[in-house]
Amino acid sequence: MNVSTKKTKKTIQDRSGKKQLGNGLTSREGVLFIIMLVAMAVLSTQNKNFLSTSNLLNQVRLLTEVGLVALPMTFIIITGGIDLSVGSIVGLCAIMLGYSWQEWGLPLPIAIVICLVVGALAGFVNGLLIVRVKVPPLIMTLATLAFYRGLAEGISRGRSVRGYPEWFYQMGQGDFLCIPTPRWGMDWTFQGMNWTFQGMDWTFQWTWCGEPAPTQIWLLLIFTVLAGIVLGRTTLGRTLYAIGNNEIGARFSGLPVNRNLLIIYTFSGLMSALAAYIFVSRVSTTRSDMGSGLELDVIAAVVLGGTSIFGGSGSIAGTMIGVVLIQLLKNGLALSGVASDATIVVVGGVLVLSILINNFIQDRKNATL
Amino acid sequence: MSPSASSRTYSHFIPLILGVMVLFAYYRLEFIQHPTLGSLTYPQAALERDAQKVPLFDADGNALLDERERPREADLELNGGQLLWFVGASLLLLGVWNLIEPRLDATIAILVSLLGTLGVAYFVVFGRTYLSEGATYLGAMGVGFWALLCLSALLLIQLALPRVTPSPYFKPSRLLGNQEAVLLFVIVILLVGVGILNPRFLAERNLLDILQGNAYIAVAAIGMTMVIITGNIDISVGSLIALLAVISGRMVVNDVPIVIAWIAPVVLGGVIGAGIGWLVAYLRVPSIVVTLAMLSVLKGGLIIWTNGERVTDMPLGYYLAQWKPLGVAVPIWFMVILSLVAILWMRYSGLGRSLYAVGGNKEAARLSGISERTVVLQAFALNGVFAGIAALLYATQFQLIQATPPPFLELNIITASVVGGVSILGGVGTVLGSTLATILINMIRSGMVFINIDPFWLKSVQGLLILITVLADLLRRRNQR
Repeated sequence: MNVSTKKTKKTIQDRSGKKQLGNGLTSREGVLFIIMLVAMAVLSTQNKNFLSTSNLLNQVRLLTEVGLVALPMTFIIITGGIDLSVGSIVGLCAIMLGYSWQEWGLPLPIAIVICLVVGALAGFVNGLLIVRVKVPPLIMTLATLAFYRGLAEGISRGRSVRGYPEWFYQMGQGDFLCIPTPRWGMDWTFQGMNWTFQGMDWTFQWTWCGEPAPTQIWLLLIFTVLAGIVLGRTTLGRTLYAIGNNEIGARFSGLPVNRNLLIIYTFSGLMSALAAYIFVSRVSTTRSDMGSGLELDVIAAVVLGGTSIFGGSGSIAGTMIGVVLIQLLKNGLALSGVASDATIVVVGGVLVLSILINNFIQDRKNATL
Repeated sequence: MSPSASSRTYSHFIPLILGVMVLFAYYRLEFIQHPTLGSLTYPQAALERDAQKVPLFDADGNALLDERERPREADLELNGGQLLWFVGASLLLLGVWNLIEPRLDATIAILVSLLGTLGVAYFVVFGRTYLSEGATYLGAMGVGFWALLCLSALLLIQLALPRVTPSPYFKPSRLLGNQEAVLLFVIVILLVGVGILNPRFLAERNLLDILQGNAYIAVAAIGMTMVIITGNIDISVGSLIALLAVISGRMVVNDVPIVIAWIAPVVLGGVIGAGIGWLVAYLRVPSIVVTLAMLSVLKGGLIIWTNGERVTDMPLGYYLAQWKPLGVAVPIWFMVILSLVAILWMRYSGLGRSLYAVGGNKEAARLSGISERTVVLQAFALNGVFAGIAALLYATQFQLIQATPPPFLELNIITASVVGGVSILGGVGTVLGSTLATILINMIRSGMVFINIDPFWLKSVQGLLILITVLADLLRRRNQR
C-alpha cells in the first residue's frame, strides 16, 4: 500500500517537473545525456577517429538491432513486465527467413514477410499466455527463450544459410540517401600534462549530403519517433504507464489492459523479426544461434536509459541514449586499444554508476521539492 | 485435537479403507505373494503350469517354481509383495492418523515422496537385474506397477483431503496439491514412459548420471531460490561460478594446499554475494540491474584475467566431484544434503522464515521487526556461498576448467528455481521444488536422448516441457483459489 502511494507521488512530481525548463538537465534522461557527453569527450581524446562521422554511422549500423528491440522492450518494462525471448525470436526468424527461401524455394520477399509474420506470431503467443493464463512475463518468456531457440535449432539442424542475392544486403550493408554532415578540422591531442592542441583548424563546413547513410538508420529513426509518439502522446502509451503503476487500478478504470499488453508483446516479436532481417542482411549469413544474449544487451540499455525495472516510469529518449551510450563505450574503448572483452566490464560499471548517480540526483531533487 | 463431527467426512476413511484393502490383498490373495508376480519373463512357463493345474504353493507355504524360474529366486526376493506390505502398513498408519488429525498435507507429501523414492529404487534394482539377463521391460514392471499404484493412490488421497474450503466436487487438478507433487509426478511419468520405450533409461548408472549431471546447478539453485523468495533475482551467478571455479583451479595449480583451494571459492563467493546484496539492500539499486552489471563485470574480468586459457594439470587429490563415497558421487551427496539442510533451515530458523516474510510483504515484515536490508543482504551472501559450492563441484568434475561460463548457466539456474514453484514476485517457493526441477530438467534431456529424439530438437522440447510444468502450476493455483 505504501509502495503504491510512493510511486504515484513520484509520477506526479515528474509531470510537474517537466513544465520547468531547469529540470530538464536533472531529469533522468538529462543526467544520462550528460554522462554520455562526458564519456564521448573522454573517449575522443583517446582516438581521433572516434568522433568521425563515418565511424559514428558505422556504429549506428551495429546498434540498430539492439535499438529496434529496445523500443518494445521499453514499453514492456514500463508495464512491469519483461521479455527475455527476444534473442531467441531473432534466431527463429532468421532461420525462418533463410529456410523458407533456400529449402522451401519461396521468393525472398515472401520469405521476409514470413520472417516478420513468424516474429509477430511468436510475440503474440507470449502475450496471449501472459494475458489469458496470467503467466508471469518473466517465466513465460524464460520458457519461450528455450522453446524458440530450440525451434530454430530444430528447423535448421545446425546448418547455416548463405548466398543471398545482392539486393538483399541493401538493408544491412547498403546506404540509402545521405545525411548532412558538419565537417570540422579538429585534430587535438593531449601531450602529457600540457593541454596543447596540435594543428587546430577551425574550418567549419556544413555539407547537405556529406556521408551516405546506412539504410537501417532510417528504419531506426522512423520507429524511434513513432514509438516515442505512441508512448508519450497516445492513449495506448499512457495506458502502459497506468498498467505499470497499478495494474488492478488500470483495469478498474476501464482501460483495455489485456489488449494493450497483447499489442506490445506482439510488437516486441515483430521488432525482433525486423532486427533478425537486418541482422541477416548485415552479416550475410543465417545461423540458429543468432541473437543469443541479445535480451541482456537490450535490457541493459533500457535500464540504463532510466526505465524502472518495476514498471511505471521510463521513456523512449532515455532508452535510445542508453543504446547509443553502450555502443559508443564499446566502440570507443575498442578504438583506444582495450580488448573487446574488457569493454563489457566498463559497460557494467557504467550501468551501475549511472544508476547510482541518477538515484542520488533524483533523491535530492525529490527531497528539495 | 479431535475434529468436529461435521468436518469428518467420508474422505477421512479413504486411506484406512485403502490400507485394509492392500493388506487384505497381501495376505489373502495368494498370487500376489508368489515371487513371479507381474513377471512376464517366462509367460510360457506360467501358461504351461496353469494348463497343468500345478499349485502355486506347497504345503509349507513355499512358492513352487518352474525349473526355469528357480535360479532367479534370489532376485525375486525383492518382488512387489514386500513393497505391498510396506504400502499397506503406511496406509493403515496414515488412515489412523488421518482420523485423529484431518489436515495432513505435509505428512502425505512426505509419504508420497518416500514411496515414490522406494518405487524408483525398486525400478532401478529390477531394471538392472532384468536387463543384465536380457529380459523384457514388462518383467521389471511388476514392482514398478505396484509402486506407481500406491503413489497414485496417495495422490488421490491428497485430492480428497479436507482443505480450507472443502469442495464436494471432483477436481482433477486437486490431485497435485503443490508444485513439488507435480514435479514428482512428472518425474515418475517420465521414468515410466521413457522406460517403456527404452529400458536402458532405467539402468542405475544412467539414473545416477541424471542426478549427477545437474547437481551443481541444483546447489546453485538453492541460493537462487532464497534470493528469488526475497523478491530479488541474481542473473550474474553463472559468471560468478565460472570465475570462482577458475580461481580455485589456479590456486591449486600454483601450489596452494588443496583444502584451501576448495574453501576459497565458497568464502569468496560469500564475499562477492554480500557485496551484491549490499548494493541491492543499502543503495537501493534494483537487483536485476546490479546483477546485470555484475554479469558483464565478472564475465569480462574473467576473460581479461585468463585470456580465455583453461586451467589444466590440477593435482590428483583435487578432483572432489569425482569421488564416490558409498558408490554415489560427491555432487549427489552435496545436492541431497544441502537441499535437506536448506529446506529445514528455511522452514524452522528465524532468518529462513524472515526470507519469506520480506518477500511476501515488506511492510508487514518491517512492522514485525524484521530488518529487510539485513535479510536481503544475507540472502545474497548465502547465494554467493552456494554459488561457491557449485563452483567447487563444477571445478573438480573434469580434468580441466573452462575459462568461460557454460552457456545459459544462469538461465538454467533461474529456470530450475522458477519451475520448482518459486514465485518470481517473492514470498513463495521451496528448495525441494528447485532441486526436483533440476533433476527433472536433466531427466528430460537424458530421456530425449534415450528415445532417439533428434538432438537438434532437444531445446525446444525442453522449453515446451518447462512451459507445461509452469502452466500446470498456474492451473493448480487457480483451482485452489
